[in-house]
Amino acid sequence: MKRRSLLALLWTPATALRAQPRVAPLNEAGYRKLVTAGRGQVLLVDFWATWCQPCRAELPLLVRLEAKYRGQGLKLVTISCDEPEQEGDAARFLRQHGVPGPLRIKRPANDDQFISSVDAAWSGALPALFLYDRLGRRVRSLIGETDMAALEAALRKVL
Amino acid sequence: MAAAALWAASLPAQEFTLGSKVGDFGLRDVKGAPVAFEKLKGRVTVIGFIATQCPISNDYNERMKALYTDYSPRGVRFVFINSNHTEPAAEVEEHAGKNGFPFPVYKDDNNVVADRFGAQLTPEVFVLDAGGVIRYHGAIDDSRVAARIKAHHLRKSLDALLAGQSVAPADTRAFGCTIKRVKKTS
Repeated sequence: MKRRSLLALLWTPATALRAQPRVAPLNEAGYRKLVTAGRGQVLLVDFWATWCQPCRAELPLLVRLEAKYRGQGLKLVTISCDEPEQEGDAARFLRQHGVPGPLRIKRPANDDQFISSVDAAWSGALPALFLYDRLGRRVRSLIGETDMAALEAALRKVL
Repeated sequence: MAAAALWAASLPAQEFTLGSKVGDFGLRDVKGAPVAFEKLKGRVTVIGFIATQCPISNDYNERMKALYTDYSPRGVRFVFINSNHTEPAAEVEEHAGKNGFPFPVYKDDNNVVADRFGAQLTPEVFVLDAGGVIRYHGAIDDSRVAARIKAHHLRKSLDALLAGQSVAPADTRAFGCTIKRVKKTS
């Protein structure tokens, strides 16, 4: 009986951790901070959502791309645009595809302002990829389904 | 700025903009018969780009039905358009039937109409006044989740137009899935 209680104690926190993803909500200031912190690396920011089929199809390819160019300074940052109800699914999807870290999720006070602050020409459509050079300057925006060859070519130029 | 230019260059040529008059265009019904927009428009006309497979568009199915039920008796005409090349007419017909749409959904071959409107997403709506001028463009409302709606943009614009008032805001940011366009070589 004692042993069972001990097991229960050991088991519960781990289960709770698995059930509740570490969520990092991002507003405009948080996004700016993230881009600033990425200086010195080439940052590929992927806005995605669980409901977005092309996003789900692309994410594993982006993970592979990061693995290929990590040594040259590429860092992939994923930001989910899911509703709070989908946070669990989003975290699970990232885990399945080996994306480490917390679940970064877009949670600005004003969605319009946030989207415009990332790129004034972006409608908010997904998938949306933004490529930043080592100085933290946005050098490329890819909106809609990504042409992976074109992305890799753009990456090579920046790297 | 360079990135903005790149994105702008990748957009198809847009002909109809907020405040401009919409000319005639052709659609097809789900059986393939050609339909002229001139025959569909009314005192106030809502043009809505929607999808069968987009979860965001599907979240609006009940809201679109409610809008149709509430505003059709007041003279508003609804023209729902599917421009996705990935969703054939038979699928559009089946989707409309399954969801009990009281309105037809038209196909836009080769996303010609979506290009002319500059529509990028589903759902994305345009509201035309009696003269065919675009008076509102953007989202139906401000939340995918009905319980979190704070601004009923489309309802507000229809109420304003029906009352002979100007629409504010006239332009909001649509959100949803990208329209799945055909790849054009030229």
